[in-house]
Parts: sequence; C-alpha cells; structure tokens
Amino acid sequence: MAQTLAVETHGLTKRYSTGVLAVNNLDLRVRAGEVYGFLGPNGAGKTTTLRLLSGLLHPTSGTAIVAGAAPGTPASLARLGAMVETPAFYPYLSGRDNLRVVARYGSVPTSRIDPVLKLVDLTDRARYKFKTYSTGMKQRLGVAAALLKAPDLLILDEPTSGLDPQGTIEMRALIKELKQGGRTVLLSSHLLNEVELTCDRVGVIAKGKLVAEGTVDELRARSGGSALLIRATPLDQARRLVESLIKPEKVRVDGDALLLSIDPSQAATINRRLVSDGVDVSELRVSEQSLEDVFLELTETPQSPHPNPPPQAGEGNGRPAGGGK
Amino acid sequence: MIASFRAENLKTRKRWANWILIGILLAWILLLTYLTLFLVVTLSPKSIQGPVPASVLKRRLFPENFVPTVLGASASIGAAIMLIFGALSTASEFGWLTVQTILIQKPTRATVLGGKLLALAAATLLVSVLMFAAAAVASYAAVTLDGSSSAWPSGEVMLQAFGALLLQLAVWTAFGAFLGIAFRSAAAAIGGGLTYLFVGEALLGSLLRNTPVVKEVLKFLPGINGGAINGAFPVTIRDTAASTQLVSAGRGVVTLLVYLVVFTVFSLLIFQRRDVGGS
Ligand SMILES: Nc1ncnc2c1ncn2[C@@H]1O[C@H](COP(=O)(O)OP(=O)(O)OP(=O)(O)O)[C@@H](O)[C@H]1O
Ligand SMILES: [Mg+2]
Repeated sequence: MAQTLAVETHGLTKRYSTGVLAVNNLDLRVRAGEVYGFLGPNGAGKTTTLRLLSGLLHPTSGTAIVAGAAPGTPASLARLGAMVETPAFYPYLSGRDNLRVVARYGSVPTSRIDPVLKLVDLTDRARYKFKTYSTGMKQRLGVAAALLKAPDLLILDEPTSGLDPQGTIEMRALIKELKQGGRTVLLSSHLLNEVELTCDRVGVIAKGKLVAEGTVDELRARSGGSALLIRATPLDQARRLVESLIKPEKVRVDGDALLLSIDPSQAATINRRLVSDGVDVSELRVSEQSLEDVFLELTETPQSPHPNPPPQAGEGNGRPAGGGK
Repeated sequence: MIASFRAENLKTRKRWANWILIGILLAWILLLTYLTLFLVVTLSPKSIQGPVPASVLKRRLFPENFVPTVLGASASIGAAIMLIFGALSTASEFGWLTVQTILIQKPTRATVLGGKLLALAAATLLVSVLMFAAAAVASYAAVTLDGSSSAWPSGEVMLQAFGALLLQLAVWTAFGAFLGIAFRSAAAAIGGGLTYLFVGEALLGSLLRNTPVVKEVLKFLPGINGGAINGAFPVTIRDTAASTQLVSAGRGVVTLLVYLVVFTVFSLLIFQRRDVGGS
C-alpha cells in the first residue's frame, strides 16, 4: 500500500501551440496516501501539469498513470477529484444546483451534496447563486465539487489563492482533514510555508522541469543548510572585499546584509579582513537557510531570468538551477 | 449519456437566457405575426395597399394558413433564436471554463457532448411544440373573433409540417452549437452565425439568385433548402407572387438531414481532440 503510486508520469511533456514548452520531460511520482506539494513560481508549469493529469490537455509526449489509469479515462476520473486553476461553475445556478449538476455528471447520489457542503462550511449559502459568491466561497465550492465523488486522489491547484489569513488557515485544516482515510492529495502552490505546513513530500518545478523532490527537511538540507550572514557598512566595499577572499558566486546580497554560502569556520578570517580595511561590521552570524532561499536557489536560472522574478534585493546571486552546493 | 443528459437538462432549464429566447420567439409569432396583421385588417382595412384586399388577406391569419405562417417564422426568427440558443449552450461552457469542471467528472468527452446534444434536441422539440401550438391557438382566436370559418389542415399535413419545423430548428441549433465549439466564444459564434444567416444566405439568396454559379452554390445552403421544404406548404391565398424553389422539398429534407449529421460529427471531432484549459 505504502509504495503504490497514485500518480506516475514518464517524460511527460507539453508544448502549447504557441510554442511555449510548459512541461518538459516530467517524471513525477506521488505515493498513495500522501499529501504531495507541487511547488513552483508563477508560470512554472504547475497548472499545465495538473491539466495533463486530469486529461484536459493532451500531452505532446510522455505518459501518465493517474489513480490507476490513463488520464481522462472514466476509470481514472472516477477516482479523481480535482479543482484546476479556478473554481469554474455556472454563475446563474446556486451553489447547491451547481453541485447537483456535477453530481449528475459523475453519477454520484445527490445525498452526497449536503455532507460536502457542510464540510466546506457552505450550507448556509448553498441556495445563493454562484455569481454572488466571494472568492473564498467559490474556492470552497470548488473543493466541495472535487469531493463529491469521495475520490481516492484529490488534485487541488493553489487552493488558498485569494483567501484571507483566516480562510487560508481553514483551508489548511480542511486539507489535513481530507487526508484522513488514506486519500492522496496533490496540491500545487507557489507559497513555501503552505507546503511546509501541509505536505508530506514536495516536488519543485521550474520552467517545466522537476528540479528537486523530497521532504521539506530534505530540501532544506540539500541546499547546504546554513550560510554566513554579515551586516556591514559600507556594504559595497564589504562585498568587494569578501569577493576577493571567496568565490564571488558564493556571495549574495540580502537586503542590507551579505549572505555567504561557506563554511562558518571562515567567519573569523573574513571579519578580521573587513575590520582592518575600515568596514564597520555590526552583525556576523550563522544564518539558517530559510525554505525561501532554498526555493529561490532551486528555481532560478541566471542565464534566462524568469519573467516574474520573486522580489529580492540586489543581484549577483548567480547560481545554477537545481544547484545546491 | 443519460447522466450527462440529465445534468444538461438541469442547466438548460434553469438558465434564464433560454426562457427569454423562447419568450421572444413566441412573442414574435403572437404579437408581430398575428396580432399586428389582425389589428390592421380589422381596424383599418383601407390602409392595405397591396393587390390583395383586406378581406382576403385576413385569411392568412386563419387555421387554414397556420402551417405556412409558423414555417415562415421558423425560417427567420426561429432560425436566429435557435442558432443563439445552440451557440450559448456550448460557447458559455468555454467562457465560464465549466467545460473543465464537467470533463473531470466521469463521462468521456463524447458522452458529455452527446448528452448536451440530446438535451438540445429535447429543447428543440419543446420549442417546436410551443411554436406550433402558439400559431394554432392564435389562428383559432383570429377566426373566432372574426366570426368566419376556416378548415384546419389535415392531420397528415400537420404532422409533416411539424416534422419540417423540427428539422429546420434542429439544424440551426446544431449549427449554433457547432460554432460555439469551434469558436469557444459566444460573441463570435452568435455574431458569425447571424451574419451568415441574414447577410450570407438571405442576401445572396435574394440578390444573386439568378447568377448561374451562385445558384448552384445556393442549392446546398441550409436556409435555401429549408425554404424549399416550406414551399411545399403553400398559403391558401396568393398574396405575393410565389417564388419558385431552387430545389425540391424532398431534396431539402435530405440536405438538412445531412447538415444535421455533419454539424454533429464535426462538433464531436473538434470537442474530442482539442485541448481544454487556458484562455
Ligand atoms: N493555454 C495556453 N496556451 C499557451 N501557453 C500557455 C497556456 N497556458 C499556459 N501557458 C504557458 O505555459 C507556461 C506554464 O503555465 P502554467 O499555467 O502551467 O504555470 P503555473 O505554474 O500554473 O503558474 P501560476 O503559479 O502562475 O499559476 C507559462 O509560460 C504560460 O504562459
Ligand atoms: Mg497555475
């Protein structure tokens, strides 16, 4: 049981008719019963992958097995509940009627509707039209629809997008609850703490390629774990000096501080040099690398910058994708 | 297929826009076709300028002519309304992205679309019945109010006429549904469809009808073929010079049946193959 795979892809590739290579030779393995976080920046190919897994897109090449069958076949769909990209419903129908429509398509008894409405806390608003719903309510209706079939595998594409902090917390709790009973959950996100809090394992995708996979702790360890943080003025001078001592690509500017990916035992040497050249060092400590850093490191490619780079001060952090030290 | 059909029916029934379309169609028949002419011929018969006097023209409103009247409506407003109805039914699914929601349930794409087409067929049947009934009731009211007498067409003729009505409405619905799937946009499908209907076919058909090449092409167009079928149910009075049909009514029926199959098959092919998602 533990080793059966809920999702397995081999060389899955999707090139859109526009020429965009959205998913590139992806080998994904989601184990039955786990919550798998599919992590990547905007435009990385998460939604495209999930559409391929639900049979909405035809792959350019490669194969996939989803819930025991080829994507999009009745055998696969019968065991799959999914919400891809946005909760899409009929605006002129009430929440309940939308679920009735979905239930009819899925040949699910209507008696399932009330329990799922209750689960996502929409019972009170079920008789209102979908077009009157707030973002959070739409999102919850999307989850409710995905749950109607009582699926073995649940695919949720950024289920917390657009939710306020309260809604996010509730959604997380809901996801933990959904995991009960051996259900597999495949969850995409571009938020790190999201997957850290809810997922057993994480796959990081960047530019359509899987660049890392493992538990959150494994990923953190993989990137070297720690760095040396130096807060000094003037920062430019400090940086030049440091770069004359260690390889420049190991130096990164983070706000008003330098982050050096080196063995902390070199701290004393570097400090001595900075001070002797007249740089004021106000802080020097070992910094535990945050998941955020790991993520940036994994998803960055210096030669072709991402169209929407995550906010980050300074530059000069030229590290290869999939790097780590 | 039954599951998809039931889901489609629920959506069709609860969509306001559909009822508005039916309302427009019935209002057209009852108010514009019947009531207006009735008021003119009874209240100011002198105002009628044509070669046909009001006393004869009013027979147009009586049961003996309700079949050509309803078939005339089916070729113009009926075609337009059903085209919009079919286009809305398919194109909206792409606009709202609900096509994605329904394709990740269980049925195959062919089953999903099959259910939708069945539901459209059921709706077309309902609209045909309503149009037929509305015209029949209006003509009965007209002859009763007028105190005249008029014979109803035979049961056989009525049955054939109902078939002709249903077939034409079905073709236009299927055309709209096909355009909605091909364009994935209600605006494009409706705009394109209506332009074809009113500019393409109607204009070509009236202006260039006697140009030899155009004439050959016209023989294959759905509207022209529908008109040929309707020509088999003439009015009892000659109010205008009856226009000759380019093809026989029998050929018209065959052509429209072919169109129905072609639109259905092409819709299925496109729907099967194309990617869903992303806008
Ligand atoms: N229908 C489409 N046609 C052409 N290109 C597309 C289409 N959908 C997505 N793309 C492109 O494919 C790439 C991957 O997009 P995708 O939506 O899968 O990313 P994502 O990881 O889900 O991003 P986000 O976090 O912003 O949702 C992007 O470059 C995008 O522009
Ligand atoms: Mg996405």
